[in-house]
Amino acid sequence: MKVILRILLTASIVFGVLTPIGCVVAADARRLNIVFVNPGKTGEVFWDMVAQSMQAAGRRLDANVEVLTSERNYRTMQELGLGVVARTDKPDFLILSNEESAAVPILQAAEAAGVKTLLLSNTLIGDDAARLGAPRQILKTWLGDITADLRNAGVRMADALIQAARAEKWQSPDGKIHILGIGGDEITPASIARNNGLQLAVAAAPDVVVDRMLFANWTQSEAEQVTANYLSWATRKGIRPAGIWAGNDPMALGAIKAASAAGLAPGRDIQVVGLNWSEDALRAVGADRLLMTDGGHFLLGGWSIVLLRDYADGCDFAAASPHVEVQAAAITRANLAAVGDLIKTRAFDRIDFTRFRAKAGRCGRYDFSIDELISSLAPVQGTAD
Amino acid sequence: MRTRHDMTDPVRKEQASPSRSRSVLRAMIWATVPVLLLVQLLASAGVEVSSFWSQIRQLDARMTRVAESRAELIAEPLWKMRYDQVRSVLNEIMHDETIAAAAVYDDTGIAIARVVARPADQTVAEVSRPINYRNGNIAVQAGRIAIAYSYANVYADTGSQLMLMTVVGLLATFATVVALRISADIFIGKPLAAIMSAIQRSKQDGRAYPADIKSSNEFGQLARAFNSMQHTTTGALDRLGHMASHDPLTGLPNRRSLSERLATLSNDARSADSLIAFCFIDLDDFKGINDTFGHDSGDKFLVHISERLREAVGPQDWVARLGGDEFVVIRPEVGNAAAAQAFAGLLLNAISQPIRLHDKQVVPRASIGLAVRRAGDPELSHLPALADIALYHAKTKAPGTVAVLDEALQRDYRRCRDLELAIPAGFAERQFEVWYQSLVDLESQSVVGLEALIRWRHPEHGVIGPGEFLPLIERSGSNARLTRYVLTDACGALQRLAFAGRPDIRIAINLPPSELADHSLAAELSETCARFGVSATMLELEITEGSLINNIASASETLHRLRRLGATIALDDFGTGYSSLAHLRRFPLDKVKIDKAFISEIPGSEEDKAIVGVIASLAGTLGLTLVAEGIERAEQAQAMREMGVRLGQGFLYHRPQPLAALLQWLAEQAAQDSRVLADSPSIAPEIAA
Repeated sequence: MKVILRILLTASIVFGVLTPIGCVVAADARRLNIVFVNPGKTGEVFWDMVAQSMQAAGRRLDANVEVLTSERNYRTMQELGLGVVARTDKPDFLILSNEESAAVPILQAAEAAGVKTLLLSNTLIGDDAARLGAPRQILKTWLGDITADLRNAGVRMADALIQAARAEKWQSPDGKIHILGIGGDEITPASIARNNGLQLAVAAAPDVVVDRMLFANWTQSEAEQVTANYLSWATRKGIRPAGIWAGNDPMALGAIKAASAAGLAPGRDIQVVGLNWSEDALRAVGADRLLMTDGGHFLLGGWSIVLLRDYADGCDFAAASPHVEVQAAAITRANLAAVGDLIKTRAFDRIDFTRFRAKAGRCGRYDFSIDELISSLAPVQGTAD
Repeated sequence: MRTRHDMTDPVRKEQASPSRSRSVLRAMIWATVPVLLLVQLLASAGVEVSSFWSQIRQLDARMTRVAESRAELIAEPLWKMRYDQVRSVLNEIMHDETIAAAAVYDDTGIAIARVVARPADQTVAEVSRPINYRNGNIAVQAGRIAIAYSYANVYADTGSQLMLMTVVGLLATFATVVALRISADIFIGKPLAAIMSAIQRSKQDGRAYPADIKSSNEFGQLARAFNSMQHTTTGALDRLGHMASHDPLTGLPNRRSLSERLATLSNDARSADSLIAFCFIDLDDFKGINDTFGHDSGDKFLVHISERLREAVGPQDWVARLGGDEFVVIRPEVGNAAAAQAFAGLLLNAISQPIRLHDKQVVPRASIGLAVRRAGDPELSHLPALADIALYHAKTKAPGTVAVLDEALQRDYRRCRDLELAIPAGFAERQFEVWYQSLVDLESQSVVGLEALIRWRHPEHGVIGPGEFLPLIERSGSNARLTRYVLTDACGALQRLAFAGRPDIRIAINLPPSELADHSLAAELSETCARFGVSATMLELEITEGSLINNIASASETLHRLRRLGATIALDDFGTGYSSLAHLRRFPLDKVKIDKAFISEIPGSEEDKAIVGVIASLAGTLGLTLVAEGIERAEQAQAMREMGVRLGQGFLYHRPQPLAALLQWLAEQAAQDSRVLADSPSIAPEIAA
């Protein structure tokens, strides 16, 4: 029976691959086995939401998504990944995140084992990228990567701060708008991208100066500490701090706390922006303490299943590019109501992932925008409060 | 020869020399050690000071480096406001003990972090460096780091180093002192000791010994110079010794050699019973040779004599010239006294060969005193004196002959020496007695005066006459004392005579020649008379012609003084000496005493009677009172009376006797006179001592 199924599967793949573009995806496509090695910790909001959206998409797109959590230990991650590759019953796809460049050995092992891989959120960088080249060149089974455009997110966040400060005329005595940047770190691509976004936005605004780019290891407490230090310093320098750009929500919340401690009213005396769409951040947006939280890139989990479903069904995303970049989106008070609940309840099953599949003849072309998301949402079932 | 004093002084110097050499070393050490110490300490201090400054500079540089490296480490956390990291980085540097405090200031000047390790109670320096932060985009000064650090460790290190170097310096100095001490002993002490030892040996036996130093350094040169000096000294000492012990004229040993020769005589003798012949030779009338031919010829004459003596004696004999015309010949061994006498005769014969002086033939004459003694005789050193006794005897008794010292001569010599030694005791114990002999009026037989005559009542030799001891008194310089002794006694006697009712009796005192030169005599005579309450007119002073001859001027003055006091002056022993008529005229004489030599043959000798007669007539003409001495028989008294001599003295009347006996006689005489007036002279009793 299995042999027959295999033959069928192989035939279908071959068929699918060879199917000319524009062929209709077979409605009775077989169920996919997908393993995701989660680099984060259990309870780590972002990666939990990535896995949850992935699983919700699996349910919609007939894919079994197995999530293995490496608990923020790259060794564990490698062991998990290598274990999956070594399985006799190999999955159809292995989704990895190249955090701390730990995914490379797994990619190579998967290549050897013939397991197709997709990198999520963090792709190859530096030497690895140069050495291994583009997907499917040296590592044939490395199908590609799906990442969020976090630089653009950084730009968006900075622009929001600048607009607000200009509107409130929060210039310092030197006539400039002084803002503080708080980055998570200086080495991971995801951090570098969003930090670059800040730099880009400020470079385009001659009336704005970033007093400091501080780093708080993604954590709230450290952000609170450096913010307090900054505010104290700014006071001594006679600077009126106009805004705080934080690389993620926890750091933004730490900055808010520090500002409050310094006697400033966030949202009224100073604006803070964050990233991640975290629940606390959304509450802060609701409370007018946080100007915006950009993000939504946890949906990369769901979108990756969409890509793999399409790929499995013969519509290869590489037709456009093996590098799929998804735009993040900002949640402000304006759109908080539409997505806030989704996030809070993590009711990702409300998202109709089938709507996001590539249309026939347009493989690799996807619209993962927030508007499309909002429109894809099924009404909340049960009582709405 | 050196004197005893000469001998002791160098010995004392030698004893002092080791301590002096030690003090030289001490002086060297005192001179070098402080300099050495000072140099060591200054060098140590110099090294330490430079090391100290170097350490300070190094510490400053190190602190600057620390500040700069910390600034680099701190730049990012400071810029990124990770003040906890800043603090922890700052805390790390506090492990450095020299750092007292550190602080980091941000670009507003606020201290972001400050750590204080210890109170800055010691000298603290501070270094401050900017903290520059740069990344790809910016380069800014994020703040400053300031580090305060202490020099305490440097001070402590320097202190302990200084202490160590001081200790090392002291040890080095001590080692140097020890080395100095040892090398001084080897290089200075030893050569000095060798030279000192040579000097000491030279002192001990008078020979110049060389110092035994072989080295070629300065001490070697000194030793060579010393040895050559010793060599020179030896020659000089030998010459000096020869000159000291030899007569330069004749080349014969001199008087000094005689003493040495005498000292070795007994040792050189084969046995204690060997007989030694000692000939004391005196040339007769050498003065005449000198006066006649001049001193050069006199010297030549002496050289001739010495050559003859040398030729006459055997190799074992010894010839010396004692000085002037005195020679000594010693034959260390003779068979017997007769052989010795023959030897002396041989010498006399050799001397007596004629000599030509200024083309004139002169026959030298000499007298020899010969003394023969056993080699074991303890009085061998008296040989010259003994021979001199014999020589004197020969000279006086038989010039030009050999006189042998016999027992009698020796006895006389001994007695003479004993008496001479006993003179001080004689005065002290009042052994000298004054006896008195009466002067009688030849017509009336009455005593008109007394002559004070000195006697010596010697405890061993009995009463000794003045003829024997007066020359001894004169030789011992006691004339004045004896004269005053006699004067005092005479004044006492005058006093007693006055008490005895005979104030008319005058006393005559003999004045020795030397007293006439004594100007104080008149004053003392006057004082003594006053003390006894007697008149100087009762004193008569007898002088001899000899005393007048030697000092005419002062004698005349003294006599005039005495005469002015009232004393009368008598010329004693007239006729035997010069019997100068001029003297009778020149000097203030009152009386002339005719010597008993002219009296003793009277009345038998017509010649003597003629002489006395002439003298009496002369005295009568000159107004001088005449006294006849030595009247022993009545016919002599009679003859004197007939020749007009008024006064007489002699055994016919009285022998010299103590005053008490005389007073007693006078008293008895007075008693007799009161009973019967008798004209016949009485014989004075002999008083035996």
